[in-house]
Amino acid sequence: MALDYVIIGNGVAGIQAAETIRRLDRTGHITLIGDETHLPYCRPMISMALEGTIDFPALTIRGPDFYEANAITPILGERVAAIDVDGRAVIIGGGRRVPFHRLLIATGADPRPVAAAGLDLNNIHYMRSQDHVRRMLASIDGARRATVLGGGLVGFKAACGLLRRGVGVSLLIGSGHPLSMQVDDEAGAMLLAELRRRGLDVRVGAAVAGFEGENGRVRSAALKDGGRVDCDLVVIGKGVRPALDFVPRDRIPVDLGILVDARMETGAPGIYAAGDVAEAEDIARRTRWVNAIWPEAVEQGRVAGMNMAGRQVAYPGSLSRNVIRVFDMDAMTAGVVTPDDDGLYEVIRERDAGGRLYRKLVFREDRLVGFTLINRIEQGGVMTALIRSRLPIRVSRRRLLAPDFNWSLLLP
Amino acid sequence: MKKVVVNPQRCVGCMQCMIACATAHSRTQSLFTAALETPTPKPRVHVGAGLCGDGFPNRCRHCDPAPCMLACLPGAIHRDPELDTVRIDPDRCINCASCAMACPFGVIRYHVDPLGPPGKTVAVKCDNCVDRRREGRIPACVEVCKSGALTFEEMGAAMKRQTDAVARSVASEVEGKPAIPAGVALHRALRRASWEMNQERKENSHEG
Repeated sequence: MALDYVIIGNGVAGIQAAETIRRLDRTGHITLIGDETHLPYCRPMISMALEGTIDFPALTIRGPDFYEANAITPILGERVAAIDVDGRAVIIGGGRRVPFHRLLIATGADPRPVAAAGLDLNNIHYMRSQDHVRRMLASIDGARRATVLGGGLVGFKAACGLLRRGVGVSLLIGSGHPLSMQVDDEAGAMLLAELRRRGLDVRVGAAVAGFEGENGRVRSAALKDGGRVDCDLVVIGKGVRPALDFVPRDRIPVDLGILVDARMETGAPGIYAAGDVAEAEDIARRTRWVNAIWPEAVEQGRVAGMNMAGRQVAYPGSLSRNVIRVFDMDAMTAGVVTPDDDGLYEVIRERDAGGRLYRKLVFREDRLVGFTLINRIEQGGVMTALIRSRLPIRVSRRRLLAPDFNWSLLLP
Repeated sequence: MKKVVVNPQRCVGCMQCMIACATAHSRTQSLFTAALETPTPKPRVHVGAGLCGDGFPNRCRHCDPAPCMLACLPGAIHRDPELDTVRIDPDRCINCASCAMACPFGVIRYHVDPLGPPGKTVAVKCDNCVDRRREGRIPACVEVCKSGALTFEEMGAAMKRQTDAVARSVASEVEGKPAIPAGVALHRALRRASWEMNQERKENSHEG
């Protein structure tokens, strides 16, 4: 009997799962339900379309024949309304039922909304999809001053992109430096200095109370401390939250994301989750965590696909990690970046005299569990592999930190 | 299919493979003219210093599945089935360093490639000398290696050679050449001894 596979979400986790299933099962029916109608594209690259370094077609990561070549039935432009766990069907618009034997929830995440007055004004944008960026670009003409909320990856990339477009940018950050979820205070201070050196108006410890405008278009942002920032374009980048409103929580256990086991299966047999919506074991933190990043979505999609097609493969766990190039500064981080001061962790650091290099390693017992590298990032993958393999570190920790660190130092 | 095999215990750290690699990936293809090119051609094999300062020719393993390929944002990395080689398309590469974060061996570098788009910084790594191979030549790093640290052979044959070497080390009556030439073994032994003496001296000076 041919199996019915249904995948919700045509982001990279869904695509990887669909391709993996097709490689292992030539006869099963695969239906892919997607909210976005574009060809599969690379979400982390939308900021490059904003800054104008690439065109929208270059975002595409699969050709126009993707669905046909993999014998996938696409249902695009639809958000799932509900899952009938016992009836083994997904319910989409108009009450239409899509039956499944195996289901993958790979719906990703939606921008976290902010609580502020005046959000209905024009030229206030989120930046999550390529349509968002298209709308931003449509309103960029005549815009002289932009305000970006949030110093996370999205806010950060939006600010840099707009700056490259010649728009003045005020970046409002709640914490003391940008990327506070990704880097420690010292690396954050280096990034902050670099951004300011490049002409970005970065305001730390700032929070927005509301927006004011005229003729329906935003004109300024009112800050909670009473200050005011003039702007005619606003980007809200206050993080994302898993898109799981349609998930029946009494049948499929949910924490922040959908809880999955080592085979990416949820608490409901035959129903899997992968990508930004899934919450799996975190290798470095040793607890469940939503790591909403592209490389994890790729891996989780593959592992889910293999298990759905009947090939049992264990997922080693997720690992938070990021690499960002900011003008002339490169930053790469992974795992535990700022450990709790509870005696479990050992931290070693190194800086160069010129203030260009910064490296920090975080150990727990005899294992590497996190690192931060500012510049000279080429060997970061070796360190990521060390964290993921959970191998005890036998060589001198100082050697790992040295600028000439290379893979052969790990040989016996 | 023949592949480049790394025999790390034979490497003497002479770095000739790096020079040959840079030359093979230059526009002019000759050491003397390549050195004068702008941008300067760079090697794609990297001899790093190990624990005792001994060499190790670190090059792309062309993994399957390749972590860099899975991590690549713009889909610029693909597998060339003809030579079973993982290749980076410099025109599609966006220099995001996602592959640096994914490569467990640290073999990818970022710079302007003399053979890539002019002035564009891209991810660069070993391409198994595909251009030379199409001309019937072997990879440049292997051609220049004098100590047998880099060989070009069928994987099955390389595995058998290693198995035989292990067999000889436990049973002296098994015939064949030693796994490591005497000169190379001596060179590496001296290097290790000098490193150990240095370590001892350091420890003593700390105590003193």
